[in-house]
Amino acid sequence: MNLQPEDFWSYSEWFFRDGAFLESAALKGIVLLVLAIVLGLIAGYVISSSRYGSGEGFFAVARAVRDFFRFDLPGTSLRRIFALARLSFKEALRRKVLYIVGLFVVLLLLAGWYLNPQSDDPARLYVSFVLTMTNYLVLALALFISAFSLPEDIKNKTIYTIVTKPVRATEIIAGRMLGFVGVGTMILVPMGLLSWLFVVRGLDHTHQEVVEVRELPGGGYEGETDYVQFHSHTFKLDETGEGLTNIVRGHRHVVRRSEDGTFQIGPPQGALRARIPSYGSIRFRDRSGNLQEEGIDVGNERLAGGYSSTGIARLIGVAKGNRKIEHGYVEGGSLGTAEFTFDNVTQERYPDGIPVDLSLRAYRSYKGDIETGIRGSVTMKHPDKAIESNPVAFIVDEYEVDEKILPLEIEGTDGSETRMLNVFEDLVNEKGQIMIIVRCLDRAQYLGVTKSGVYLHPADNSFGWNLTKAYGSIWLQMTMVIAFGVMFSTFLTGPVAMISTFVCVLLGFSAEQVFDTRHYIDSGIERGGGPIESMVRLLRQDAMTTQLDVDTVAAKVIKTVDAAIVYGLDAIATALPNLPKMVETAEYAASGFDIFGALLARHATATFGYVLLAFIVSYFILKSREIAA
Amino acid sequence: MSTEPNAAVADAPQTATPDSADASSSVVIETRNLSKIYRDFWGRKKVHALKSLDIEVRPGEIFGLLGPNGSGKSTTIKLILGLLFPTSGRVLVFDQDASETRKNERIGYLPEESYLYKFLTADETLDFYGRLFDLSASERRDRVSQLIEMVGLQGAKHRQLKEYSKGMTRRVGLAQALINDPDLILLDEPTTGLDPIGTREMKDLILGLRDQGKTVLLCSHQLADVQDVCDRVAILHQGELKELGRVSDLLKVQDVTEVHATGLSDAAKTEIADVIARHGGTVQSIDNPTATMEDLFLNIVRESEARPGARRVSQGSDAASANDGSSDSDGGQA
Repeated sequence: MNLQPEDFWSYSEWFFRDGAFLESAALKGIVLLVLAIVLGLIAGYVISSSRYGSGEGFFAVARAVRDFFRFDLPGTSLRRIFALARLSFKEALRRKVLYIVGLFVVLLLLAGWYLNPQSDDPARLYVSFVLTMTNYLVLALALFISAFSLPEDIKNKTIYTIVTKPVRATEIIAGRMLGFVGVGTMILVPMGLLSWLFVVRGLDHTHQEVVEVRELPGGGYEGETDYVQFHSHTFKLDETGEGLTNIVRGHRHVVRRSEDGTFQIGPPQGALRARIPSYGSIRFRDRSGNLQEEGIDVGNERLAGGYSSTGIARLIGVAKGNRKIEHGYVEGGSLGTAEFTFDNVTQERYPDGIPVDLSLRAYRSYKGDIETGIRGSVTMKHPDKAIESNPVAFIVDEYEVDEKILPLEIEGTDGSETRMLNVFEDLVNEKGQIMIIVRCLDRAQYLGVTKSGVYLHPADNSFGWNLTKAYGSIWLQMTMVIAFGVMFSTFLTGPVAMISTFVCVLLGFSAEQVFDTRHYIDSGIERGGGPIESMVRLLRQDAMTTQLDVDTVAAKVIKTVDAAIVYGLDAIATALPNLPKMVETAEYAASGFDIFGALLARHATATFGYVLLAFIVSYFILKSREIAA
Repeated sequence: MSTEPNAAVADAPQTATPDSADASSSVVIETRNLSKIYRDFWGRKKVHALKSLDIEVRPGEIFGLLGPNGSGKSTTIKLILGLLFPTSGRVLVFDQDASETRKNERIGYLPEESYLYKFLTADETLDFYGRLFDLSASERRDRVSQLIEMVGLQGAKHRQLKEYSKGMTRRVGLAQALINDPDLILLDEPTTGLDPIGTREMKDLILGLRDQGKTVLLCSHQLADVQDVCDRVAILHQGELKELGRVSDLLKVQDVTEVHATGLSDAAKTEIADVIARHGGTVQSIDNPTATMEDLFLNIVRESEARPGARRVSQGSDAASANDGSSDSDGGQA
């Protein structure tokens, strides 16, 4: 999992973006609200002036706005909202939407056919399977129930008996949204429990027997477990007869030798986890030891992308350039290093050693020894002084998180002599910082690191809680889709409302591509251009990196129209919620990382903002609509 | 919640209503120059559904809107309820604009067909609508059971409405219109889909509502029903008001005299005809009156309920049945 700059932001950093307010979520929210108000007033005026004439139309709009604040908002009653929510809830239940939980169970039962039992990382496979499945099922459900209900009510005229009661438009909208969120919650909860059961039970296994046990000369034993679920472990026991197996497929077992000489192997441990990382800042040194912002680029690492964090700033052309973090490489056998500085290193946080997790990439410029892999080392260093521990060498284990615990007492040099160093006394500065240096040991081979690739690992959260947070993120997405569905259903027929909501979701998901296309157009990079240019290239079978081979006038027209389309799409995509970011939280749970509270809080705020916006828009549409027309 | 309608609208403007049964001085519904033009999506005129309608509905009366299909009755009701917006003119209900939500606290509406949620039971339906008003939980429960009893659905209150017959749905529809004990009740075609018993019950109920001091506006093309219950009617045709007034006045045929008498022999009838001729009148007909089909039907049903079982229809006794629907002599097989 490679984190992007915005993933490291705290909640307030995201909301205000100190020093770059143009990129902030707050500004985006304000602009959306203002835009909605202005467009709403204009549209309202156009409609009502066509209905009542230009002068009277103005008063009609003014009255509608006044009514909203003076009567409908204060007059909104929770009792009626709940009554209407209950109705929507009952409607969905009587339409048997709970069957979707049954469908989910069937999918889980069939999952065994698709999930590779010999996978190296079964936990990831299982967790990402259940979360993806839930996500799509629930979003599809939200889409259906929210888009069809109100148009159906209007078509069947059942709404007549509602609006002729003292029910306000605010209550109809809020009741509906609340009811559907209730239905969604009702479905998400059993799905979450089933998922948890499926993952935990699916990964559970027991090794019954041990084979090839040898007594070690210095006391203790070593041996191998039996082969269960496509794997076995080796283990080593100390003199007291206790020990651990090695880590295979993301887990290990405790092994104990009892008095009568039999071996007991415990349940799997560490397969399902939620690491809480403590990230540091990163800088590089090139082969001559000079400080660099970025590491070596071993290929086309710096593609367009990562623009979604820049909000309004990018839209109006203030923020430019690539924003995506990719791996920076360190050259082996030279002075090249990657240096991470970590804060808040204290005895209380790390009582038993400094736990460092490494997920690195290797880039080979020659084949080398293919059997052992590339070697690297980690060194602890005082951030300001030339006090440094001896390097701890390791062999790079690509595609897996390599968890190391660096000892608190380690031999090293303080510049003048070599002695035993105490981490907290000698290597941590007065600000509580420590530097971890990663080097590549093999000459002319390269190690790739990112900011999120090396971190201290002070604690783990419980997996159950992490899964709950992942489900919380799905819940937020569902709420967002319901709000959009209800909004569109206030003025469109059911199927059209559903498709509109779906298009919004889809455009949200392909926002990055739209942003990239805009970037290519802005910077004059030939990447196939906008939709029309692409179509022309497709028909003419031209490669996308060549010049567009049509005459000058035609090219000008095509490029102008394309630019207009792409800029329009860009504006819409910027306005839409960043759903892919929310879906990504599943990736945290699947990779075994704790979902940051700040991330969830950001999603919750965004969801609340969009729901509010949809609510207000829906209110005015419903209010200005002739129900019986 | 049964406030006197007069008290609630006491501050309404004074309007002279000399012939109103309630003799109140206020107006419940007032339309001023009300017009409605239906337009298509592009704003082109499709139908001129209502043209400059001016009517007043006074407290405590039963007001009927009459007219053939497409004459603008339903449009008027929808404008009054705020389901449609007028193209020009105004509607005032309890002196508030029709688009005002608060007026609905005192209104009950029975739509043309009972547009109810088919997945709810009668109980749940009434409970749901009750929750939309400011009623305490106990008040709501009392009201629901009372209304279910009133419309005679005790036996079916736990069944979903989709299993109901048309008449039963209609009754639930009526019950939901009365859930808030409204002062003004709007009934759109109240008797369609009801059997003769239901129709009679509905009519009795409407009259009962008036006796409780409520105002009723109904629209219908069942002329007989309108004649039976309405105090005043407005007749619409093609969106225009054609006639407005008290039913008794409108239907009174001024130059015809009606005499009902029993025990007259044929000779006496001839003599009466002579007397009329002597005074310069013209005898149009001297006949035995026929009962209405409704009376006949209701008598048969009442008889059957009193004495269940198959009934032997006497052959060729048309006259007897017409005169006396109950035909006691035929008896039952109880």
